[in-house]
Amino acid sequence: MTDTPSINRVEPIIVCKNVQKHFGEFQALKGINVEVTEGEVVVILGPSGSGKSTFIRTINRLEEHDGGTIVVDGVELDDNVHNIEQIRSEVGMVFQQFNLFPHLSVLRNITLAPQKVRGLSKRDAESEGMQLLERVGIPEQADKFPTQLSGGQQQRVAIARALAMRPKIMLFDEPTSALDPEMIKEVLDVMVELAQSGMTMLVVTHEMGFAREVADRFLFFDAGEIVEEGTPEHFFTNPKEDRTKLFLSQIL
Amino acid sequence: MNAPSQLQQPQMYRVKDWMRTHLFNGTGNTILTVLVVLIAGFVLFTVIRFVFIDAEWSVVSVNKRLIFLGRYPKGEEWRLWPPLWAALGLIAAAWGTWSSLSRRDILWLLLAAVFILVFVAHGTEGLLFGGAVVLAAVLYAGVRLSGTDPTMRSRLRLAIIIGWIILLPGTIVIITAFDGVQPALWGGLMLNILLATFGIGFALPLGIALALARSSSLPVVKWFSTAIIEITRGGPLVAWLFIARFVLPAFLPDILNTDVIVNALIIVILFTGAYIAEIVRGGLQSVPPGQREAADALGLSGFNVTVFIILPQALKAVIPALVSQMISLWKDTTLFSILSFTDALGGAKAAFSQAQFVGRQKEALIFIGLIFWAGSFGMSRISRRIEKYLGVGSR
Ligand SMILES: Nc1ncnc2c1ncn2[C@@H]1O[C@H](COP(=O)(O)OP(=O)(O)OP(=O)(O)O)[C@@H](O)[C@H]1O
Ligand SMILES: [Mg+2]
Repeated sequence: MTDTPSINRVEPIIVCKNVQKHFGEFQALKGINVEVTEGEVVVILGPSGSGKSTFIRTINRLEEHDGGTIVVDGVELDDNVHNIEQIRSEVGMVFQQFNLFPHLSVLRNITLAPQKVRGLSKRDAESEGMQLLERVGIPEQADKFPTQLSGGQQQRVAIARALAMRPKIMLFDEPTSALDPEMIKEVLDVMVELAQSGMTMLVVTHEMGFAREVADRFLFFDAGEIVEEGTPEHFFTNPKEDRTKLFLSQIL
Repeated sequence: MNAPSQLQQPQMYRVKDWMRTHLFNGTGNTILTVLVVLIAGFVLFTVIRFVFIDAEWSVVSVNKRLIFLGRYPKGEEWRLWPPLWAALGLIAAAWGTWSSLSRRDILWLLLAAVFILVFVAHGTEGLLFGGAVVLAAVLYAGVRLSGTDPTMRSRLRLAIIIGWIILLPGTIVIITAFDGVQPALWGGLMLNILLATFGIGFALPLGIALALARSSSLPVVKWFSTAIIEITRGGPLVAWLFIARFVLPAFLPDILNTDVIVNALIIVILFTGAYIAEIVRGGLQSVPPGQREAADALGLSGFNVTVFIILPQALKAVIPALVSQMISLWKDTTLFSILSFTDALGGAKAAFSQAQFVGRQKEALIFIGLIFWAGSFGMSRISRRIEKYLGVGSR
């Protein structure tokens, strides 16, 4: 991955250069440099408070970075509201707490943004929405409300909602951490299918089985920095840094 | 006291059993039950004796017109019936599509209709009012029977909402147009109803706008809205009404200075709007930040996020408080009587000030109290229905 000759090199879809983020005095990101190519699946690991969430949230500007540059699909993230909305419509996000809209039906959760942002008609949005619900395996839940669904089902709706914008990139922030163990698999299955379909994905997760299966690359965060980076193979067989070894010994 | 639980036993056993477990379980509770029954009996006895024996209701029946219409000119009453029909019809149709009448609702409505037909509306008025009741009943039944086809239903609902939006301006046109009755001559209960409806109709959007402005990140907008809210809430409504009556006319440009009622109404709308703004702001803060993040992450514009994601949840969370505010506005419309308008309360005062009704304040005031209670109670029932429809509490 690292030494591909520059002629064959694909333009990266995400380019982060020296990205920094402060919360008051506290520096949560201390200069992150990452490039992600199209179709790549990047899994982000690291101890609690290391800046994993903060980092992936800067990519769709849920957090505003205060140093360095982020370019997503050729558009630089700055104060330009138009740029921000455009990038957000191309970058889907799935949250730990699902964050479905409780006052809207499952199908409406999915069709709202395509109608308002992509300008689809209600009918087209609904037929696309139903296809997505088929894809995540719960078409029969379309008319229910989010609170009537199990956690696993809610998270699958959240994935369908993000996919309805036809994003080029999907961000996942601990998508299975709030789920009961028996529901984790149904969500991971959807994510594996998504990864195999060629979606560019950045995933914060502690599910090592899943990570090993689909990840092209691991990033290990600690204290606001990327401490180590490499293939899953590299991490499972000979991690170099002590902090990585310590972390892996705790979660494996 | 607890309602009887759904027990599956035979009737007799159930009642006895329920009484034993709910009313007479233990000495303390038995004493309490007996005491409450005694007090309730005494109150009921007093009320019945007053209503049917001691009271002299002629102060109300003779002055019916004064209480309901104030100084509204004779011969122009026809203008009031179409709006009343439309309003009752719309309520019935709305109730039919969004909810349904429980047996208890039907009981209350029958009681109210019978009361009005027996004691208030006689002759032609009785017929016209009876017509309204029949119309409402037919509309309700029609809507209930029209089935559950979703496109039909959403069209029907749209029509009802449009009807509600047209109702208020339509009413004003019908009352004032073609040499009609100008606001200065509106009076009685009709004035209270119009003031309350206008007040709610304008204060709600104003309040929402002020709340959004106060939560805005633009400092000027925020300060402006905060100033309006805090200044308005800083004084009692009575004081503001006096200002509307005696101070405002000196400062307002002539175009806005047409009518004292309009001035006072503007004040009422501002006043209620300020309180609604704070209620709505509470609702906005109750929406979890994850909702805005999820909506932002989809690329929805700020406007769409507010309108489709944040506001609906915020408003839903504060329906009970909003309805209290509306009920309080409904009752506060009686304050117009101290500005020398003959609203329902003013009409009642005028009634018992007449020589032949000296000492009949009780009857007149109790009647007015009953009317306002009925209005408040109705609003609270409707709000319960809305909450149930929206599933409040089941986020
Ligand atoms: N809004 C905020 N205000 C202040 N500090 C914050 C804020 N958000 C995050 N932080 C701090 O930034 C650091 C990184 O937080 P972040 O949520 O990115 O960690 P994380 O790696 O996702 O951890 P976890 O595994 O617990 O989710 C933490 O020390 C956290 O306390
Ligand atoms: Mg996190």
